[in-house]
Amino acid sequence: MSGPRDLRDLVGDELEPDELERLGRIHALLEQAGPPPELPPSIAHAPAPPSERVIPFARRYRYGALAAAAILAVALFGAGYLVGGGPEPEPVERLAMEGSGGATAELDLFAKDEAGNWPMELRVSGLAPGTYELWLTREGELAAPCGAFAVAAGETTVPLNAPFKLKEFDGWVVVPTGSELPVLTT
Amino acid sequence: MDAAVAVRLDLPSRKADASIRNVTADSRTDAELIAEVAEGDSVAFEELHRRYARSVLGIALRRIGDRGRAEDATQDTFASVWRSASRYDPARGEATSWLYTVARNAIVDGLRRRREPPVDETPELAEPGPGPDDAAEQGWVAWRVHRALETLPEQERSLVELAYWSGLSQSEIAEYLGIPLGTVKTRTRSALRRLADELEDELE
Repeated sequence: MSGPRDLRDLVGDELEPDELERLGRIHALLEQAGPPPELPPSIAHAPAPPSERVIPFARRYRYGALAAAAILAVALFGAGYLVGGGPEPEPVERLAMEGSGGATAELDLFAKDEAGNWPMELRVSGLAPGTYELWLTREGELAAPCGAFAVAAGETTVPLNAPFKLKEFDGWVVVPTGSELPVLTT
Repeated sequence: MDAAVAVRLDLPSRKADASIRNVTADSRTDAELIAEVAEGDSVAFEELHRRYARSVLGIALRRIGDRGRAEDATQDTFASVWRSASRYDPARGEATSWLYTVARNAIVDGLRRRREPPVDETPELAEPGPGPDDAAEQGWVAWRVHRALETLPEQERSLVELAYWSGLSQSEIAEYLGIPLGTVKTRTRSALRRLADELEDELE
Protein backbone atom coordinates (compact mmCIF):
# COMPACT_ATOMS: atom_id res chain seq x y z
CA MET A 1 0.00 0.00 0.00
CA SER A 2 1.23 3.52 -0.68
CA GLY A 3 2.15 5.89 2.11
CA PRO A 4 -0.19 8.20 3.94
CA ARG A 5 -1.83 10.91 1.88
CA ASP A 6 -1.32 13.80 4.24
CA LEU A 7 1.68 14.55 6.41
CA ARG A 8 -0.46 16.70 8.71
CA ASP A 9 -2.54 13.66 9.51
CA LEU A 10 0.64 11.97 10.73
CA VAL A 11 2.23 14.71 12.77
CA GLY A 12 -0.56 17.14 13.62
CA ASP A 13 -1.06 20.79 12.77
CA GLU A 14 1.16 22.48 15.33
CA LEU A 15 4.32 22.66 13.24
CA GLU A 16 5.89 25.84 11.89
CA PRO A 17 5.92 26.05 8.07
CA ASP A 18 9.70 25.55 7.88
CA GLU A 19 9.53 22.46 10.05
CA LEU A 20 6.57 21.10 8.14
CA GLU A 21 8.44 21.60 4.87
CA ARG A 22 11.51 19.80 6.26
CA LEU A 23 9.50 16.86 7.52
CA GLY A 24 7.64 16.86 4.23
CA ARG A 25 10.86 16.03 2.41
CA ILE A 26 11.49 13.12 4.78
CA HIS A 27 7.90 12.06 4.22
CA ALA A 28 8.57 11.99 0.47
CA LEU A 29 11.81 10.02 0.91
CA LEU A 30 10.03 7.40 3.01
CA GLU A 31 7.37 6.98 0.36
CA GLN A 32 10.02 6.80 -2.36
CA ALA A 33 12.12 4.23 -0.48
CA GLY A 34 9.27 1.87 0.30
CA PRO A 35 9.31 -0.55 3.22
CA PRO A 36 12.52 -2.27 4.28
CA PRO A 37 12.29 -6.06 4.04
CA GLU A 38 11.93 -8.13 7.16
CA LEU A 39 14.89 -10.37 7.93
CA PRO A 40 14.12 -14.08 8.02
CA PRO A 41 15.60 -15.99 10.96
CA SER A 42 18.19 -17.59 8.70
CA ILE A 43 19.98 -14.26 8.23
CA ALA A 44 18.95 -12.49 11.42
CA HIS A 45 22.57 -12.59 12.57
CA ALA A 46 25.86 -11.92 10.88
CA PRO A 47 27.55 -14.93 9.31
CA ALA A 48 30.26 -16.47 11.45
CA PRO A 49 33.47 -14.59 10.74
CA PRO A 50 36.07 -16.85 9.18
CA SER A 51 39.31 -17.22 11.07
CA GLU A 52 42.42 -15.77 9.50
CA ARG A 53 44.74 -18.02 11.41
CA VAL A 54 47.29 -19.73 9.17
CA ILE A 55 48.33 -23.26 9.95
CA PRO A 56 51.52 -24.90 8.73
CA PHE A 57 50.11 -27.68 6.64
CA ALA A 58 52.73 -30.23 5.83
CA ARG A 59 52.90 -31.15 2.16
CA ARG A 60 51.12 -34.44 2.74
CA TYR A 61 48.32 -32.55 4.50
CA ARG A 62 47.95 -30.19 1.56
CA TYR A 63 47.46 -33.10 -0.80
CA GLY A 64 45.09 -34.60 1.74
CA ALA A 65 43.12 -31.38 1.91
CA LEU A 66 42.85 -31.25 -1.87
CA ALA A 67 41.62 -34.81 -1.96
CA ALA A 68 39.22 -34.06 0.85
CA ALA A 69 37.90 -31.07 -1.06
CA ALA A 70 37.02 -33.26 -4.00
CA ILE A 71 35.47 -35.91 -1.77
CA LEU A 72 33.55 -33.33 0.23
CA ALA A 73 32.22 -31.60 -2.87
CA VAL A 74 31.00 -34.85 -4.38
CA ALA A 75 29.61 -36.03 -1.07
CA LEU A 76 27.69 -32.82 -0.41
CA PHE A 77 26.36 -32.76 -3.95
CA GLY A 78 24.95 -36.20 -3.43
CA ALA A 79 23.80 -35.54 0.10
CA GLY A 80 20.74 -33.68 -1.04
CA TYR A 81 19.46 -36.79 -2.74
CA LEU A 82 19.61 -38.93 0.31
CA VAL A 83 16.48 -39.27 2.35
CA GLY A 84 16.62 -39.74 6.08
CA GLY A 85 13.93 -41.52 8.02
CA GLY A 86 13.16 -43.83 10.86
CA PRO A 87 13.67 -43.25 14.50
CA GLU A 88 17.46 -42.95 14.19
CA PRO A 89 18.70 -40.30 11.75
CA GLU A 90 21.16 -41.59 9.23
CA PRO A 91 24.22 -39.55 8.33
CA VAL A 92 24.17 -38.06 4.88
CA GLU A 93 27.92 -38.48 4.71
CA ARG A 94 30.71 -40.13 6.67
CA LEU A 95 34.21 -38.72 6.42
CA ALA A 96 37.34 -40.51 7.56
CA MET A 97 40.12 -38.61 9.28
CA GLU A 98 43.67 -39.75 9.91
CA GLY A 99 46.58 -38.46 11.89
CA SER A 100 50.02 -39.38 13.04
CA GLY A 101 50.60 -42.14 15.56
CA GLY A 102 47.62 -44.16 14.40
CA ALA A 103 45.01 -41.62 15.46
CA THR A 104 41.82 -41.92 13.46
CA ALA A 105 38.33 -40.44 13.44
CA GLU A 106 35.02 -40.73 11.69
CA LEU A 107 32.88 -37.67 11.16
CA ASP A 108 29.19 -38.27 10.46
CA LEU A 109 27.26 -35.40 8.88
CA PHE A 110 23.52 -35.37 9.35
CA ALA A 111 20.96 -33.52 7.32
CA LYS A 112 21.11 -29.74 7.52
CA ASP A 113 18.25 -28.11 9.36
CA GLU A 114 16.25 -25.11 8.15
CA ALA A 115 18.48 -22.69 10.03
CA GLY A 116 21.59 -23.96 8.27
CA ASN A 117 23.03 -26.17 11.01
CA TRP A 118 24.81 -29.37 10.03
CA PRO A 119 24.58 -31.69 13.06
CA MET A 120 27.60 -33.99 13.30
CA GLU A 121 28.95 -36.81 15.36
CA LEU A 122 32.69 -37.25 15.72
CA ARG A 123 34.27 -40.51 16.89
CA VAL A 124 37.97 -40.28 17.60
CA SER A 125 40.52 -42.77 18.83
CA GLY A 126 44.24 -42.79 19.30
CA LEU A 127 44.58 -39.17 20.36
CA ALA A 128 46.47 -38.24 23.49
CA PRO A 129 44.18 -37.21 26.35
CA GLY A 130 43.42 -33.48 26.19
CA THR A 131 41.07 -31.01 24.56
CA TYR A 132 40.76 -30.50 20.83
CA GLU A 133 38.85 -28.44 18.29
CA LEU A 134 37.29 -29.40 14.99
CA TRP A 135 37.75 -26.80 12.22
CA LEU A 136 36.68 -26.40 8.64
CA THR A 137 39.58 -25.40 6.41
CA ARG A 138 39.95 -23.35 3.30
CA GLU A 139 43.13 -23.26 1.23
CA GLY A 140 45.29 -24.58 4.01
CA GLU A 141 43.96 -22.29 6.70
CA LEU A 142 41.74 -22.83 9.70
CA ALA A 143 38.59 -21.17 8.49
CA ALA A 144 35.61 -21.89 10.76
CA PRO A 145 35.40 -23.52 14.20
CA CYS A 146 32.95 -26.36 14.68
CA GLY A 147 33.32 -27.01 18.39
CA ALA A 148 35.69 -28.27 21.05
CA PHE A 149 35.80 -31.62 22.79
CA ALA A 150 37.83 -33.51 25.36
CA VAL A 151 39.51 -36.86 24.82
CA ALA A 152 40.33 -39.42 27.47
CA ALA A 153 41.70 -42.91 26.96
CA GLY A 154 40.13 -45.09 24.29
CA GLU A 155 37.45 -43.94 21.86
CA THR A 156 35.54 -40.71 22.32
CA THR A 157 32.24 -39.86 20.61
CA VAL A 158 30.91 -36.29 20.68
CA PRO A 159 28.08 -34.40 18.96
CA LEU A 160 29.18 -31.25 17.16
CA ASN A 161 27.65 -28.72 14.80
CA ALA A 162 28.72 -26.77 11.73
CA PRO A 163 26.48 -23.74 11.14
CA PHE A 164 28.15 -22.94 7.83
CA LYS A 165 27.77 -23.40 4.10
CA LEU A 166 30.04 -26.39 3.70
CA LYS A 167 30.57 -25.83 0.00
CA GLU A 168 32.62 -22.78 0.93
CA PHE A 169 35.28 -24.96 2.58
CA ASP A 170 37.60 -27.66 1.38
CA GLY A 171 38.35 -29.90 4.35
CA TRP A 172 38.27 -30.61 8.06
CA VAL A 173 41.01 -30.82 10.67
CA VAL A 174 41.26 -31.48 14.38
CA VAL A 175 43.78 -29.37 16.28
CA PRO A 176 44.69 -29.38 19.97
CA THR A 177 43.08 -26.45 21.75
CA GLY A 178 45.38 -23.46 21.47
CA SER A 179 47.40 -25.02 18.67
CA GLU A 180 47.26 -24.63 14.91
CA LEU A 181 48.95 -27.90 14.07
CA PRO A 182 46.45 -30.48 12.87
CA VAL A 183 46.49 -33.89 14.50
CA LEU A 184 43.71 -35.27 12.30
CA THR A 185 42.79 -34.36 8.74
CA THR A 186 40.26 -35.57 6.19
CA MET B 1 -8.59 -2.60 16.39
CA ASP B 2 -9.29 -6.24 16.97
CA ALA B 3 -7.00 -9.18 16.43
CA ALA B 4 -8.81 -10.20 13.28
CA VAL B 5 -7.91 -6.91 11.63
CA ALA B 6 -4.31 -7.30 12.71
CA VAL B 7 -4.19 -10.72 11.12
CA ARG B 8 -5.82 -9.48 7.94
CA LEU B 9 -3.23 -6.73 7.60
CA ASP B 10 -0.37 -9.12 8.37
CA LEU B 11 0.92 -6.92 11.14
CA PRO B 12 3.93 -7.80 13.22
CA SER B 13 3.20 -8.85 16.74
CA ARG B 14 3.11 -5.87 19.05
CA LYS B 15 6.49 -5.08 20.52
CA ALA B 16 7.21 -3.84 23.97
CA ASP B 17 8.12 -0.20 24.27
CA ALA B 18 11.48 -0.99 25.79
CA SER B 19 13.85 -3.48 24.29
CA ILE B 20 17.37 -4.69 24.74
CA ARG B 21 18.28 -2.75 21.64
CA ASN B 22 17.09 0.48 23.27
CA VAL B 23 19.16 0.16 26.38
CA THR B 24 22.28 -1.24 24.79
CA ALA B 25 22.52 0.93 21.69
CA ASP B 26 26.03 0.93 20.30
CA SER B 27 27.23 4.52 19.98
CA ARG B 28 30.12 3.70 17.69
CA THR B 29 29.95 5.17 14.20
CA ASP B 30 29.81 2.95 11.15
CA ALA B 31 33.40 3.88 10.33
CA GLU B 32 34.53 2.92 13.81
CA LEU B 33 32.72 -0.40 13.53
CA ILE B 34 34.39 -1.14 10.20
CA ALA B 35 37.77 -0.38 11.76
CA GLU B 36 36.96 -2.79 14.60
CA VAL B 37 35.84 -5.44 12.12
CA ALA B 38 39.17 -5.05 10.37
CA GLU B 39 40.78 -5.95 13.70
CA GLY B 40 38.66 -9.08 13.93
CA ASP B 41 35.99 -7.80 16.34
CA SER B 42 33.00 -10.11 15.85
CA VAL B 43 30.81 -7.98 18.15
CA ALA B 44 31.36 -4.97 15.91
CA PHE B 45 30.60 -7.21 12.93
CA GLU B 46 27.27 -8.22 14.48
CA GLU B 47 26.40 -4.59 15.17
CA LEU B 48 27.22 -3.64 11.59
CA HIS B 49 24.98 -6.49 10.47
CA ARG B 50 22.17 -5.25 12.71
CA ARG B 51 22.42 -1.78 11.20
CA TYR B 52 22.67 -2.78 7.56
CA ALA B 53 21.19 -6.25 7.03
CA ARG B 54 17.76 -5.00 5.98
CA SER B 55 19.31 -2.38 3.69
CA VAL B 56 21.50 -5.02 2.05
CA LEU B 57 18.60 -7.43 1.66
CA GLY B 58 16.57 -4.58 0.20
CA ILE B 59 19.01 -3.83 -2.62
CA ALA B 60 19.60 -7.55 -3.18
CA LEU B 61 15.88 -8.00 -3.69
CA ARG B 62 15.82 -5.06 -6.08
CA ARG B 63 18.74 -6.47 -8.01
CA ILE B 64 17.93 -10.19 -7.97
CA GLY B 65 14.20 -10.41 -7.39
CA ASP B 66 14.25 -13.93 -5.97
CA ARG B 67 14.01 -13.94 -2.18
CA GLY B 68 16.18 -16.99 -1.52
CA ARG B 69 18.98 -15.79 -3.74
CA ALA B 70 18.74 -12.32 -2.24
CA GLU B 71 19.18 -13.78 1.23
CA ASP B 72 22.26 -15.68 0.08
CA ALA B 73 23.58 -12.47 -1.44
CA THR B 74 23.04 -10.69 1.87
CA GLN B 75 25.21 -13.19 3.70
CA ASP B 76 27.78 -13.03 0.90
CA THR B 77 27.87 -9.27 1.34
CA PHE B 78 28.68 -9.47 5.02
CA ALA B 79 31.33 -12.11 4.41
CA SER B 80 32.82 -9.65 1.93
CA VAL B 81 32.63 -6.84 4.49
CA TRP B 82 34.56 -9.02 6.94
CA ARG B 83 37.25 -9.79 4.41
CA SER B 84 37.66 -6.27 3.03
CA ALA B 85 37.11 -4.09 6.12
CA SER B 86 40.83 -3.36 6.37
CA ARG B 87 40.68 -1.70 2.95
CA TYR B 88 38.16 0.92 4.01
CA ASP B 89 39.69 4.39 4.15
CA PRO B 90 37.50 6.99 5.91
CA ALA B 91 39.35 9.75 4.08
CA ARG B 92 37.97 8.50 0.78
CA GLY B 93 34.29 8.56 1.64
CA GLU B 94 31.51 7.82 4.06
CA ALA B 95 31.21 4.38 5.56
CA THR B 96 27.67 3.98 4.29
CA SER B 97 28.82 4.67 0.71
CA TRP B 98 31.62 2.11 1.04
CA LEU B 99 29.21 -0.48 2.43
CA TYR B 100 26.79 0.23 -0.40
CA THR B 101 29.57 -0.38 -2.93
CA VAL B 102 30.65 -3.58 -1.19
CA ALA B 103 27.07 -4.79 -1.19
CA ARG B 104 26.50 -4.07 -4.87
CA ASN B 105 29.80 -5.71 -5.83
CA ALA B 106 29.08 -8.78 -3.71
CA ILE B 107 25.63 -9.15 -5.25
CA VAL B 108 27.00 -8.85 -8.80
CA ASP B 109 29.90 -11.20 -8.02
CA GLY B 110 27.48 -13.73 -6.61
CA LEU B 111 25.36 -13.60 -9.75
CA ARG B 112 28.45 -13.96 -11.91
CA ARG B 113 29.82 -16.84 -9.85
CA ARG B 114 26.57 -18.72 -10.16
CA ARG B 115 26.37 -17.77 -13.83
CA GLU B 116 22.95 -16.31 -13.31
CA PRO B 117 21.87 -13.32 -15.33
CA PRO B 118 21.32 -10.15 -13.31
CA VAL B 119 17.76 -9.09 -12.99
CA ASP B 120 16.90 -5.53 -13.86
CA GLU B 121 16.85 -3.14 -10.93
CA THR B 122 13.13 -2.67 -11.29
CA PRO B 123 11.78 -5.86 -12.81
CA GLU B 124 8.33 -5.24 -11.48
CA LEU B 125 7.89 -2.09 -13.54
CA ALA B 126 6.68 -2.24 -17.09
CA GLU B 127 7.69 0.36 -19.65
CA PRO B 128 7.58 3.26 -19.41
CA GLY B 129 9.56 3.22 -16.19
CA PRO B 130 12.72 4.55 -14.69
CA GLY B 131 15.90 4.04 -16.62
CA PRO B 132 19.07 2.60 -15.10
CA ASP B 133 20.09 5.92 -13.60
CA ASP B 134 16.71 6.37 -11.98
CA ALA B 135 16.78 2.82 -10.69
CA ALA B 136 20.24 3.34 -9.21
CA GLU B 137 19.07 6.56 -7.61
CA GLN B 138 16.06 4.81 -6.13
CA GLY B 139 18.30 2.04 -4.81
CA TRP B 140 20.58 4.55 -3.13
CA VAL B 141 17.67 6.46 -1.58
CA ALA B 142 16.19 3.23 -0.24
CA TRP B 143 19.58 2.25 1.13
CA ARG B 144 19.99 5.56 2.98
CA VAL B 145 16.42 5.67 4.26
CA HIS B 146 16.41 2.08 5.47
CA ARG B 147 19.75 2.60 7.19
CA ALA B 148 18.41 5.76 8.84
CA LEU B 149 15.39 3.85 10.13
CA GLU B 150 17.76 1.56 12.03
CA THR B 151 19.04 4.56 13.99
CA LEU B 152 15.62 5.23 15.50
CA PRO B 153 14.58 3.98 18.91
CA GLU B 154 12.64 0.75 18.47
CA GLN B 155 9.26 2.24 19.35
CA GLU B 156 9.67 5.06 16.84
CA ARG B 157 10.94 2.78 14.08
CA SER B 158 7.98 0.45 14.53
CA LEU B 159 5.64 3.41 14.51
CA VAL B 160 7.03 4.78 11.25
CA GLU B 161 6.77 1.39 9.60
CA LEU B 162 3.18 1.04 10.75
CA ALA B 163 2.31 4.58 9.66
CA TYR B 164 3.78 4.29 6.18
CA TRP B 165 3.47 0.68 5.17
CA SER B 166 0.83 -1.15 7.19
CA GLY B 167 -2.16 0.60 5.68
CA LEU B 168 -3.46 1.59 9.11
CA SER B 169 -4.72 5.06 9.95
CA GLN B 170 -3.18 6.90 12.90
CA SER B 171 -6.29 6.11 14.96
CA GLU B 172 -5.96 2.41 14.16
CA ILE B 173 -2.28 2.51 15.06
CA ALA B 174 -3.14 4.14 18.39
CA GLU B 175 -5.64 1.40 19.09
CA TYR B 176 -3.25 -1.31 17.95
CA LEU B 177 -0.44 -0.03 20.17
CA GLY B 178 -2.75 0.88 23.03
CA ILE B 179 -1.53 4.47 23.27
CA PRO B 180 -3.35 7.81 22.82
CA LEU B 181 -3.67 9.24 19.32
CA GLY B 182 -1.77 12.35 20.44
CA THR B 183 1.15 10.18 21.52
CA VAL B 184 1.20 8.48 18.13
CA LYS B 185 1.48 11.86 16.42
CA THR B 186 4.10 13.13 18.86
CA ARG B 187 6.24 10.04 18.37
CA THR B 188 5.81 10.17 14.61
CA ARG B 189 6.92 13.80 14.62
CA SER B 190 9.91 12.94 16.75
CA ALA B 191 10.83 10.05 14.45
CA LEU B 192 10.63 12.19 11.33
CA ARG B 193 12.81 14.84 12.97
CA ARG B 194 15.43 12.25 13.81
CA LEU B 195 15.30 10.94 10.25
CA ALA B 196 15.68 14.49 8.94
CA ASP B 197 18.79 14.93 11.06
CA GLU B 198 20.16 11.59 9.91
CA LEU B 199 19.41 12.24 6.25
CA GLU B 200 20.51 15.87 6.17
CA ASP B 201 22.61 15.23 3.06
CA GLU B 202 19.67 13.79 1.18
CA LEU B 203 17.57 16.85 1.98
CA GLU B 204 20.02 19.33 0.50
